[in-house]
Parts: sequence; structure tokens; C-alpha cells
Amino acid sequence: MFFNSIEFFIFLPIVFALYWLIGGKNIKTQNLLVAAASYVFYGWWDWRFLSLILFSSLVDYSIGIALGKNEKPSTRKTLLWISICVNLGFLGFFKYYNFFVDSLINSFTFFGSEFSINTLNIILPVGISFYTFQTLSYTIDVYNRKLEPTKDFVGFMAFVSFFPQLVAGPIERATNLLPQFSVERKFDYRNAVDGLRQVLWGLFKKIVIADNCAKYANIIFNNHTEYNGSTLLLGAFFFAFQIYGDFSGYSDIAIGISRLFGFNLKRNFAFPYFSRDIAEFWRRWHISLSTWFRDYLYIPLGGSRGGTSMKVRNTFIIFIVSGFWHGANWTFVIWGALNALYFLPLLLANKNRVNTNLVAEGKYLPSIKELGQMGFTFLLTLIAWVFFRADNVTHAFSYLKGIFSGSLFSWVEIFPSTILGLVFFFIITEWLGRSGEYAIEKVDFINRPVRWGFYLLLIVLMFAFTGEEQQFIYFQF
Amino acid sequence: MKKFLKNIIIFFLLALIVGETVVRVTHTMSDIPQRVIDENGIQKYYPNQEGYWKGGDHKWGINKLGWPGELPNSYDNLIMIIGDSYIENFMNPNECHQSAFLKKNMKMYNFMEAGRSGVSLIEAMEISKNLDSLKPVKTLVYVNNNDFYESIRDIQPLQDITQVNLKNGTIAYGKMKAPLFKKILYNWKLLYYFYTRFPLNNQSENAEAPTVSEAIEENNDILKSKSEVFNLINYIKDNYSTKDKVFVFHPNSNTEIIEQCKNLGFNIIVLDSSKDDKKWVFDHDSHWTCYGHEQVAKQISNALLK
Repeated sequence: MFFNSIEFFIFLPIVFALYWLIGGKNIKTQNLLVAAASYVFYGWWDWRFLSLILFSSLVDYSIGIALGKNEKPSTRKTLLWISICVNLGFLGFFKYYNFFVDSLINSFTFFGSEFSINTLNIILPVGISFYTFQTLSYTIDVYNRKLEPTKDFVGFMAFVSFFPQLVAGPIERATNLLPQFSVERKFDYRNAVDGLRQVLWGLFKKIVIADNCAKYANIIFNNHTEYNGSTLLLGAFFFAFQIYGDFSGYSDIAIGISRLFGFNLKRNFAFPYFSRDIAEFWRRWHISLSTWFRDYLYIPLGGSRGGTSMKVRNTFIIFIVSGFWHGANWTFVIWGALNALYFLPLLLANKNRVNTNLVAEGKYLPSIKELGQMGFTFLLTLIAWVFFRADNVTHAFSYLKGIFSGSLFSWVEIFPSTILGLVFFFIITEWLGRSGEYAIEKVDFINRPVRWGFYLLLIVLMFAFTGEEQQFIYFQF
Repeated sequence: MKKFLKNIIIFFLLALIVGETVVRVTHTMSDIPQRVIDENGIQKYYPNQEGYWKGGDHKWGINKLGWPGELPNSYDNLIMIIGDSYIENFMNPNECHQSAFLKKNMKMYNFMEAGRSGVSLIEAMEISKNLDSLKPVKTLVYVNNNDFYESIRDIQPLQDITQVNLKNGTIAYGKMKAPLFKKILYNWKLLYYFYTRFPLNNQSENAEAPTVSEAIEENNDILKSKSEVFNLINYIKDNYSTKDKVFVFHPNSNTEIIEQCKNLGFNIIVLDSSKDDKKWVFDHDSHWTCYGHEQVAKQISNALLK
């Protein structure tokens, strides 16, 4: 079931009504309803893969209990490794099996040897990368004694399968979300209204910005040899806003819906395209994944405590693993490595935490310097996005070669002024609202007729500029 | 909670009004004419309706006889044009209709169209039988493979399409499918928008059960249910006046069907778009563009004038 589907518009009010009217103040009933609704939500796509979530929940729940009872370090370590192997085993099989087989065959062929293993016709379970990391965070935190193991299996099931963020995040930490399943949740008017507002903004990002930009990004990327450099750059620009509108839109909807049910999820995007350097960009883009890798991979590997070589090694590891997490394709690996290359100079010069505040805080306009920094950072991300979007490495290099050709300074061959106008409206709205959790949060302080008028304007724009319906990009990850 | 629900309901109603206004003003959805079944069992439109096609670039109109397009000034030397959505042709303005192009090419004749989306071959023959009272000199029946298949109840019964039961030789007239729902849907534009934008039926379900037309479209070279199709052609030969009827076959129609019609003495014209570098159809719609209609009319008038 997709957030932008008619089924979901029917499903959500039913679950909302049952949750508050029948669930009332009884936490157990509410948790049971959340778990049941989440299984229906996921099963709507393919009920067979519910068994995978159930199995993953059972394994991690049992290991959590066992970790709570065992004090022996070797047993605890074994239990942790069982959880890691089971979760990453599923992920590896469903997501990477064919990639590894293909890569192995290609390597043998490259060295002139014959090698043959059959690839499998595997369906990638939607959201497996997200819920796998979420359950792993639970066992790792219990192992590290940051969290007490839960004895409430229904609550744990609800935590693993929580439908607003099940298929595309934010990847919630057990330390943040799980305890919320064991405290009383009361309906809060302001929180619910704020949640709905965030849902509206998320839908606008998805339906108007992402889907419309996708149309032109697809045309330009799929026929890149036919266009000049400036048009190819415009194609990358469209993709940058497609992926941002798509993914941050999903996160906004997920966070907003969670608020309707009395849950607070972590922020996943913080206006990343207003970043002044790449380090700031990565503190603002897909925050839940970046911090996951920081806490469960980068720091255990030694982080930046060691010498320069360790810093370089660890930085490359997390960026490449992050790239690989996105998909079984070398393009994602290169995307990760390229970002590591962008990041390293800042890390080595100890300038990776220079821009931690809000850009042009308290001002309407940025300074020339800030504008230049933002523009340069955005340009770097555009180049990296080419690898993310390309079908394969050859496609990406050919695309980049096309951008950096003599025709870069010629006039664009495609100029969808309406869509560019919408993107401009979007950027301005995001800029004006950048001090909030999401762009239109502060609209709450405007008087009702204007506020409602603004909401209706967003709805009207959704009707008038509905793009070709595209699946959320991050579903494939 | 009460305040929340109250505000949600008020906002929802307001959004419905604004949404409906926007969809109507911008013509996001096409206006759909209302249908009626006449005393002969023929589904046509209520007379004298008009509305906008999607986007609002042009209007369609239903004439006083209940068919789309304009009526001729005179019924003398009349050539009747019967067909499905290709002839109904809501997606193009009146000047791009077959009657307009044919009139340009054959000035001595008058042309009248009777088109409605979903018309099967057998229904087209029923329509022609009714319109024979206007004494046309020729009747052009535009057909494609599906029109043959969808005419035969023995292959797949379709409630909303007029079909023939070949076993007992009876005609089963099409019934209105969900008329109330359609009436609501077509008048409540916002709901219609949602219905088309977010279809309720699951894609995977469709994929498992292709419709007759999808199955046939997959391969035009292979004639499935051959004996039924040939029986249908025989049935038409035996039960309708076919002397002045001309079957106009769409490009890529099945050659076996064409040959069988030819062998039984039907007048036929086979359209050919293969020699044209320019496409006859829209990018996201299999219907003919204005250019496509012009080319079709050119080939037909050439054939008729021969």
C-alpha cells in the first residue's frame, strides 16, 4: 500500500478511528491494533513476505530476552552474532545474491576463466533494508546495555513493523521508538494537527515536486546522448529534486502519520540543499541512516580516534557501505566513494564541523559567501547524483562526459518553465521555513483563513500539477 | 478529539468544494456525455449535449439524433460512418472527424457519423440496420480485430456490449453498466479525477487475467477462436443487408479475418499506416490524431472513388 494511493486514504481513517475509539487508553489494545494494521499495510503489497518480518521479530525478541538473562560475555557475543547473521543473511540473500553471483562470474570472465552459477529470480521484499536495520539496532543496543530487553512481544512486533515508517524509514532506533510502545499515548490536538500539516507537505513534495521532476529526469537520463551539456545538467538538477522530494516527502508523511497516533519519530531531513559543505549535507540528508552507520559501524571501527589512515579507512568504509546499502549496483558504490572523497578533505583539515548552525539564521537572505558555498555543495551533490540515477557505471560516465563538454554553456534544449516555477516555489518555501522541523511548520502561527488558504493552495497545486504517478524511489532499497 | 474531527470535516468539505472548482475550471477531467438505450436496444447519447475534452482545448457535441459530431445539411447522397471510439472521436475537435475530412475529399456526398466507444461489430450492424431508414448510399463500418471477438457471446459474455449468441442466433443487447455510479462519477468531477488517478483495481490482478482485447492485441497474426469468428461473419452475411456496407479495417488487422470477409463478398477497405513516417496515433492513447484521421479519410476516399 502506498501513501499516495486511494487504498491508503481509506485505510488511514479506519485505523485512526479504531486506534483512538476502541484502543482508547489501553496500551495493549493500541499496540495490537498498530501491529495488525502494519501487517495489513505490508501484506497489501505481498502477504508472503509478512513471514519474513514475523521471523525477524521473533528472532530479535528472543535474542533480546536471552541477552537480558545472560551475563557471560562469550554467550552474549554469540547471541549478538546470531541476530546479525540472521538479519544481514536475509538482506544479503534477497538484495545482494544476484549481484555477487554476477560480479563473481564477471571477475572470472575478466581473468579468462569459465565459471557458472545460476542467478535466482528473487523478489526484493519492500523495505527490507529499513526494518532489518531497525531490528538490528535493538539487539545491538540491548547487547551494549543501552536498552532493557522488552518482554512485550506485541509491542515489539508493532515496533518492528510500525506501518508509517516500515517500508522507507526513517530508520528508528529502538531506544527512541520502542519505549513509546510501553507508555500511555493520549490524543493531543496540536500534535495531530501538526502531523496532518506535515503529511500535507510530504504529499506536496511527492506528488508535485518529485513526480513532475521525475518526468524530465527520466526523459533526459534515458536519452542522454541526444542532449547538450546544459540540458544534462538540468536533468541532474531534476533528479536531485526528484529524489529529495520523493524521499523527504515520504519521511514527512511517515512522521506526520506517526504523530496522529501519538508517536514521535526522528527527523530524517533538515533542508540538506541549504548545506554549506558536504559534511553539513550529510548531517542533514537521510539523518536516520547516517547516524545509524555512525553509531553502529563508524564508532565501533574506531571512528576518528586513531591516526589519519584510520580516519580515511573508516570514512571510506561507511560511505561505501552506505552506497551499497542503497542497492546492489556498482553505481551506488561509486556514489558512496565519491561522497567519501568530498568529505575527506574536510575531515582531515578538521573542518567537518564548521557549519553546524542554521545558514543565515534570523535573516531572509544568505550572504554572498553562503550562497557560493551552498551552490558549490549542491553542484558536488549533483555530480554524485548522476551515479545514483544512472543505469550502470558506463551510463554515468557517459552522462558526466556529456555535461562537461563544450555544450555546457549552450542554451538548454528542454525548458519546462512551469515545473521549474514549482521547484522555485518549493525552494523559497523551504528557505523561509528552514528553522522549523519541516518547511511549513511555522504556518501554524498565521491566522486561520490565511493558513487554510495556504493548505488549499497546496491541495490545488497537487490537483493541477499531478505528475505521472511514480513509486517512491526508496521502496527499492 | 471532537475539535480535531470538527475541523477535519470542515476543512475536508472546503477542500472538496475548492477541488471540484479547480478540476472543473482547468478541465482536468473530460466531460462525459450521458447515455441512453433507445427502443431498438441501441446505446447512444442523450441528444444535444456538449462538453469539454480533457484540458479544455476543444468541445465535443452530441447532435439531435444522439450521436457525436455534426449532422449533414442534407441526407441526399448520404454515406453513413459507423464505429467505436475512433469514430466517436471526442479527443479531436469536429473538424478532425471522419465526416469532415471525407466531405472535403468527396464533395458530392454527405456524411453522417454514428460512433460510440465500445461498439462491437454486431452492434455496428444493428445501428446500420436502424439507420438504413435514412437511405444511405453506402455505410462505412470501421472495424478492428476486437470488434469481431467482442461481438461473440460464445467467446466471452460482456454485459455492457451488444453481442450475438451464435449457438441460437440471438442478439443480446448491451446493458448499462453501473449507470448510477457512472452518473455520480461523471458529474462529481473530483471523484472522477480520484477514480482515474488512483484506480481501485490492483494491477497484479489485471496482469493475471488479461481481457479479450489485451489477449488479441498481443498477437494480431494469430487468429484465435477462428471458427467462432468465421461463424460470426457468416451470420452477418445471412442476417444483415451487406450490399452497401463497407468494412474499413484498422491497420494491422488480422489477415485471415480480412480474407474471409473478402471471400464472402463483403466490400472492404484495409487501412495501411506502415508507409507513413508520421504516427497516426497519440503518444499515450491508441486513438487517431487529427493527422491520423486525415490520412484514414484520404485512403477511404481514394478507395471509394475508384
